[in-house]
Amino acid sequence: MARIPPQERDIHTPQSSFFPDLLRRAQNPDGGWGYRQGLQSTTEPTAWSILALLAHEGPPDKVISSACDWLRRTQTDEGAWPTSSGKDPGCWVTALACLAMAIAAEGPEGAVSRGTKWLCSTWPAEGNLLWRLRQLRQEKSEIFVHQDHSLRGWGWTPNTASWVEPTAYVMIMLQNLPPQLRPPEASRRLQLAERMLYDRACRGGGWNAGNPLVYGVPGVPRIGPTAWALLALRQHPEHSAVLEGLGWLEEHYQNPRSPASLALTQLCLKVFSRPTRPIEDALCDFYGGSEFLRSTPVVAWASLALGELPRWLGPSSPEKGVI
Amino acid sequence: MSYSNTRLVPPFHRSPSSVAIRAVASYEAGVEAVLWETLQELGPPVRDKSVLLKPNFVEPDVEGTINTHPVVIRAAREAFLRLGAKTVIVAEGPGHERDTEAILEVLRLSDYVGPLDRSFVDLNTDEVSQVSPRTHASKLKSLCLPKTVLAADFVVSMPKMKTHHWVGVTLALKNMFGIIPGNCYGWPKNVLHWAGLSQSILDINSTIRPDFAIVDGIVGMEGNGPIQGAPKACGVLVAGSDPVSVDATCARIMGLRPERIDYLRRASLLLGNIEEARIEQLGETIGATCKPFEMVPAFQELRA
Repeated sequence: MARIPPQERDIHTPQSSFFPDLLRRAQNPDGGWGYRQGLQSTTEPTAWSILALLAHEGPPDKVISSACDWLRRTQTDEGAWPTSSGKDPGCWVTALACLAMAIAAEGPEGAVSRGTKWLCSTWPAEGNLLWRLRQLRQEKSEIFVHQDHSLRGWGWTPNTASWVEPTAYVMIMLQNLPPQLRPPEASRRLQLAERMLYDRACRGGGWNAGNPLVYGVPGVPRIGPTAWALLALRQHPEHSAVLEGLGWLEEHYQNPRSPASLALTQLCLKVFSRPTRPIEDALCDFYGGSEFLRSTPVVAWASLALGELPRWLGPSSPEKGVI
Repeated sequence: MSYSNTRLVPPFHRSPSSVAIRAVASYEAGVEAVLWETLQELGPPVRDKSVLLKPNFVEPDVEGTINTHPVVIRAAREAFLRLGAKTVIVAEGPGHERDTEAILEVLRLSDYVGPLDRSFVDLNTDEVSQVSPRTHASKLKSLCLPKTVLAADFVVSMPKMKTHHWVGVTLALKNMFGIIPGNCYGWPKNVLHWAGLSQSILDINSTIRPDFAIVDGIVGMEGNGPIQGAPKACGVLVAGSDPVSVDATCARIMGLRPERIDYLRRASLLLGNIEEARIEQLGETIGATCKPFEMVPAFQELRA
């Protein structure tokens, strides 16, 4: 799809529907979205667009149903979703596709169930036998990433290490499923993943990609991983790591460097009922300057930040889920 | 197009390489003039070609020691245009931070290269093609590569001169990790670590061998690089059309033995010259510019 012509943009009179409208118009004829406007459809931007549009508009319409159809068509036989058409599966995109389809439908369906099973049976590689043998052989002085590798979440892709963001996405998705639809391993995986996030928190608050201490040097937290880790841990608002993370995020709220960091911070602070401020003008200023580098996920995050709190980020209970 | 023209040449068939070392005291000390003079001397064949500058952008960094400095990027862009390039774009897929715009904002890149929608491509969100690597040193059976990179006529690797706590140093060859898109591999691109870092560097560079390299060593990073190290004022720009010999020269300036750097030694078998005798040094000498970099304990043995 072609880019939105400048004369059709209305960034000087911001309305809460500007970003959702942008998403709607960027949908490809096949029902999906590309990472950037006009590129071929892929899983992650399609899932974010569904989640953002649902948060604004309620019940699914034709735009959403055609997007869900696109997701159904692209699911692999194993139940995962590929990062791009015909490419290898990704844990993070499978989690987001499951979440989007589960929220879009009245109730979870086969595709979600198969995706969830695939995720719960996919373990990161750092805990496997080869890894443990290598760790045993390694001299203590050679180990310079100090973290508990028995605490495993999810990698971005199978057969790699656990990282903060994909772990948080899977946790949020599983938290939204009612217990009867969670695979038997889900509870154990959620517990391990939660402990992994606490283990990977940076000193002084926040998270980075997943290395809080390398060669004794504390890692610098980043807004994206911090926001997603906090959202995955939203059921534990009194935990010290959560409180520290929120404190770090609030410090960086005043001087946002990008639309993604502003939108994700806003979303996170709203979920934790922390004070926020109107950010619509700031987001539109960013859009006027760079068009968000034409990134579909960033447009979707801006939509989510400006809309009502989506129910998949609302309070959930381990007993009931949300859906 | 680079992919079909990949050069895998064993040492006994290879011509000597030329590498220029230029002393530049600071980013305010006439980088444009120095780089223009250097490129005129080296004469990269860019007339009527689409040039892709691949800097090293890792994280938003207000100190200016992690990422390739935008002054160097602007100077390269203007010099290639003056040499007759049809187009020059900046393209990068940061490996740690998926918020590319935050990095560009801290760098104020648009102040140096103009509006980002025309001058910059985020390789992490590009469309990809799956290609078979030209070598199979790593466990990677195929590579997803951005179409923007595959379509470029002339690829220029523009790293920062830094140490690296996993592979020793990160220079022109390691910088090519940034063309591997996060939308296929995640942030960080952890698949490459599990497939073998040194081996992946070889496979990526054998498939998309940079046509030219310009290393920003005006202020580099020593110690626990590539993110958490200390600034190192080295005061050089290093450039040439053979990325292996450019990296080997940089290693010598950093006080290291290039043949002890695993991925450089591997790359020297097929991709370029590593021996000092096969590198014609232009400009400054290694001896005059050498400023030994601090290394983490695991890489002390790289020291000359």
